[in-house]
Amino acid sequence: MVEILSSQVVSGLATGCVYALIALGFVLIFKATDVVNFAQGEFVMVSGFISYTLLIRFGMPYWLVLVSTIVLSGFMGVLLERVVVRPIMNAPIFSIVIATIGASIVLRSSAGILYGYDVLPLPTIFSKDPIRLGVVNFTAMDAGVIGSSLVIMVALYLFFKLTKTGMAMRATAQSQTAARLMGVSVPRIFSLTWAISAGIGGVAGVLIAPIIYLDPNLGFIGVKAFAGAILGGFGSIPGAIVGGMLLGILENLSGYFFNAGIKQVSTYILLILVLVVRPSGLFGAAPVRRV
Amino acid sequence: MKRLLGSAAVLGALVGLLVLVGSGPVWAEDGVTDKEVVVGAGLDLTGAVANWGVNIKAGMEAVFNRVNEAGGIHGRKIRLIAYDHVYQPPKAVTNAKRLVERDKVFVMMGHLGTPTTKAIKDYVEEKRVPNIFPATLASIWTTSGKWHVGDLATYADQTGLIVDYLVKERKIRKIASFYQDDEYGLDGHLAGKSRLKHQYDLAYVAEVDYKRADIDFSSQAAKLKESGADAVIVQAVYREPPRLAEQCAAIGYKPLFIGPSPIVVAKTIELGGKHVEGLMGVEVYPLPTDSGAFLDQYRADMAKYAPSLPIDTTNLYGYQKAALFVEAMQRAGRNLTRDSLLKAIESIKDWDPGWGLKYTYGGDNRRGMSNAGRLVIVKDGKWTKAGDWTELKEVGRR
Repeated sequence: MVEILSSQVVSGLATGCVYALIALGFVLIFKATDVVNFAQGEFVMVSGFISYTLLIRFGMPYWLVLVSTIVLSGFMGVLLERVVVRPIMNAPIFSIVIATIGASIVLRSSAGILYGYDVLPLPTIFSKDPIRLGVVNFTAMDAGVIGSSLVIMVALYLFFKLTKTGMAMRATAQSQTAARLMGVSVPRIFSLTWAISAGIGGVAGVLIAPIIYLDPNLGFIGVKAFAGAILGGFGSIPGAIVGGMLLGILENLSGYFFNAGIKQVSTYILLILVLVVRPSGLFGAAPVRRV
Repeated sequence: MKRLLGSAAVLGALVGLLVLVGSGPVWAEDGVTDKEVVVGAGLDLTGAVANWGVNIKAGMEAVFNRVNEAGGIHGRKIRLIAYDHVYQPPKAVTNAKRLVERDKVFVMMGHLGTPTTKAIKDYVEEKRVPNIFPATLASIWTTSGKWHVGDLATYADQTGLIVDYLVKERKIRKIASFYQDDEYGLDGHLAGKSRLKHQYDLAYVAEVDYKRADIDFSSQAAKLKESGADAVIVQAVYREPPRLAEQCAAIGYKPLFIGPSPIVVAKTIELGGKHVEGLMGVEVYPLPTDSGAFLDQYRADMAKYAPSLPIDTTNLYGYQKAALFVEAMQRAGRNLTRDSLLKAIESIKDWDPGWGLKYTYGGDNRRGMSNAGRLVIVKDGKWTKAGDWTELKEVGRR
């Protein structure tokens, strides 16, 4: 029992880490620009196809594929911001959100046209053979996914805390006007935010695509990650991480204790429960009421 | 008086015209003209089982293209209109309405998926459009009457073969079921349950479900491991067996996985690699690499009309359906109606397209036109035959 449960938690945590990475992408863009980017899941999908192309069609070595995928994903984020979002930056937020949904459909269909809608296996450096540590069974894949995610999260934390650019980004998130007055180039920060979010999405893509296979509908994983971000408190970075991880574990456990139907809706049941008790999510700040 | 006569003449002419229009062209049936027959299909071209959909379409088109280039059948060319239902029942209904009401198809053919085809069942019955050789082998099509005609052994019958093999030949008594929680997975799941109970006084040691398009099976793997099953019957398609085998292996559990015909595709092996080595399946028509005049023609047609697709059980499935349809069209003759087509299908008896399998109309209960099945196994990364053809017996779900 302990053995089975602990294995369930570890494999849930691996999936949860990927949710957390995607949720981070949502939150970073939202904090900086007030836009909810519904193409975040598509960043994951497109990066999966980028690494597939580099790895299978061009036969590049894995480490180079990894770096190139993240860079190209980041570039895609900048492109999306420049082409789709920036021209309508002064439109109501609602219009921008719809534009990102449009972008997600375009990306999904383009992948379908280019690669077909069939599922493709994406190779990975992590083995899927079992490892046993005490009572816990897991795979090198699980460990690799959890490890890589944690590295990205720590790197991101250090970037925001220690670098000048990171500080400028935090300042922009707090007040665009104040940041501008301090000499921060807000458009540049926006581009950078989209690049980082898409880059993180790229990491998530490289990690998850070998596990759940690659196809143009892979981006729908973004919906679950979005739920994770809300669970943690939308707009909170630690919230996105904890929310995503919790979601992965909860899904696995509910599937184990109940059936596939409950597993499917467990995410949303938990989401509703949390929002009823704490409307701002687990880590979200309560909205300030100005009197 | 003269004016009255004139009006009467005009009225008479109008009535005559109406009668003429009403009686219509010689071919009164929708989708049939002097030169053409229009056939409709709802397929999954972009969703969870797109590999099946895309290939079934290509297989059917290969036959139709060859037939059309040779002048068609009784002077009529066959035109296939296929829409994408993404393996989602509501979309399947919308597509069926579009095919029947706007495109005016003569028949539905090769409609893919059990839940999706079940969703359009009432509608095609109401519109009296035959549902010919749907790409689902659920036993529901053997009990649904006149408008539905299946072609091959059902999932229920295939599962009967699996259970018999496991219990009698392999002496395995701890058998679990992993099934898609819809009309597809339940067909084989329930038939297996009934077979175990009535034939061997056994029960599944675990019954574990999943939802269409689910991608993570770690909790299912845990439950299966706990049950201690030596064999797991997978009522699934091509995405699930590799992923399940991987996730079971990850927790150190390696039972025998075995399932019905939808898992017997090259994609299963492409996705699973070494994890699906030893996976077993049931096939209800020969492997695309087997010998026989029909298969030679299939390989030549695929090379000519769908050169980008490798030969596979998926496109052979569609090819086989189209060939059966062409045979029925030949028999129906020039005077083609929905009724004459159904009558032509009923006349098929011991017909072999040239690959050793004989098709016979299954009678009023409309069992498959062929009830043959045999076991196959993944060996060295290839589906390989693991048994001889047997005539599958009917296995009830209750």
